[in-house]
Amino acid sequence: MYLYIYDSFLSDKKYTDLLSQIEKRVTDLGIKGRIARLSILKNMKELITDGIKSGVQTVVVIGNVQTFAKVINIVAGLDVVLGLIPVENDNKIAKMLGVPPKVLACDILASRIIKKIDLGLINNHYFMGQAELNNASVLIEYDGYSVRPTTVNNNITIYNFADRSVAPNSSPVDGVLELVITPIKSGVFGKKNVVGTVLPFSKIKISTEGEDQVSILTDEQVIMKTPAEVSVAPQKLRVIVGPERCFE
Amino acid sequence: MFGKNQPVVSSKNIETIIGPSVKVEGDFKGEGDLIIEGMLVGNLTTKNNLKIGQGAVVEATVKANNAFIAGRVKGNITIKGKLDITGSAVIVGDIKAAMLSIESGALIQGNVSMPSGEAAHEEARTSVKKDSRKNEIESSEELPLES
Repeated sequence: MYLYIYDSFLSDKKYTDLLSQIEKRVTDLGIKGRIARLSILKNMKELITDGIKSGVQTVVVIGNVQTFAKVINIVAGLDVVLGLIPVENDNKIAKMLGVPPKVLACDILASRIIKKIDLGLINNHYFMGQAELNNASVLIEYDGYSVRPTTVNNNITIYNFADRSVAPNSSPVDGVLELVITPIKSGVFGKKNVVGTVLPFSKIKISTEGEDQVSILTDEQVIMKTPAEVSVAPQKLRVIVGPERCFE
Repeated sequence: MFGKNQPVVSSKNIETIIGPSVKVEGDFKGEGDLIIEGMLVGNLTTKNNLKIGQGAVVEATVKANNAFIAGRVKGNITIKGKLDITGSAVIVGDIKAAMLSIESGALIQGNVSMPSGEAAHEEARTSVKKDSRKNEIESSEELPLES
């Protein structure tokens, strides 16, 4: 049984046509299910746990990157399959999973290619793609050794998976995350990135030397602060993917 | 191993890179290929290939399968297979390797020893061959198709 969750911002009139097209397409494809709309009174966790109790096996979320970030943190580890229908064209997570935007995503749902993927975990928050610290002077502690950038300006990115052009070795099915430290050097033509550091890991601690906290921003726009423990949660999420996904 | 006439670490095989802007301290253990361009202090062990680049500074006991050293190393080095030392390398410590190549200009302060006996040489050859074969397969996979 399918449960379709519409994010609250979709109550805006401009989405009416899109939602009716999606509803029509899922009916045509024979994957119709119960529809639930998020509002101030109905939260996502409540809807999903109630749905699972009444036999829902696939939760489909219709919304944007923030909607997906919320649902990941609810369904991770639960016995449900997650499907996504992005309403915007430039949805990074959906792209990496090979899910096209809007109505086209319905066909991907119907084809039901299900993959068990890893998630990243920062303190108690799951993320799917990547997390980033900018211009941070931090200490990164691995099991047995520590890593410290020696330049002042660095981009520090933690990848679970990303576009092949950005992080060619990252994969959400390899059981590790990848830490990439790239120093930012100013050249004649402005800032340029130089050879970086690539360290795979399953668990690290990130802290700052002084009392200042550094922000960690996930690709779902969730902000967390250091000190943080970052680890991989292997095969934590069952998700419907498309053939154009950026991993095997 | 990483030079013109040696097997090259393909990008597919690279797992860990310690860049020039990073300092690593402690007991570093790697499973895959390891490239060091920055600074490492402590112990360094990898089951695969190791490259210590020209600008790298390593103050550690080093253990690897095959290695290419162009930078500065202070500590004992134990290599199961082949060790390539370039003219820019500065090594202060004892070296133990089954196969060894030293370019003129390299500075070594320490004892160099190689295991004796046919068995040891055979093991070294196998270790180097395994590495070359792996890289040959990867290179052939990367060849562009001619239309």
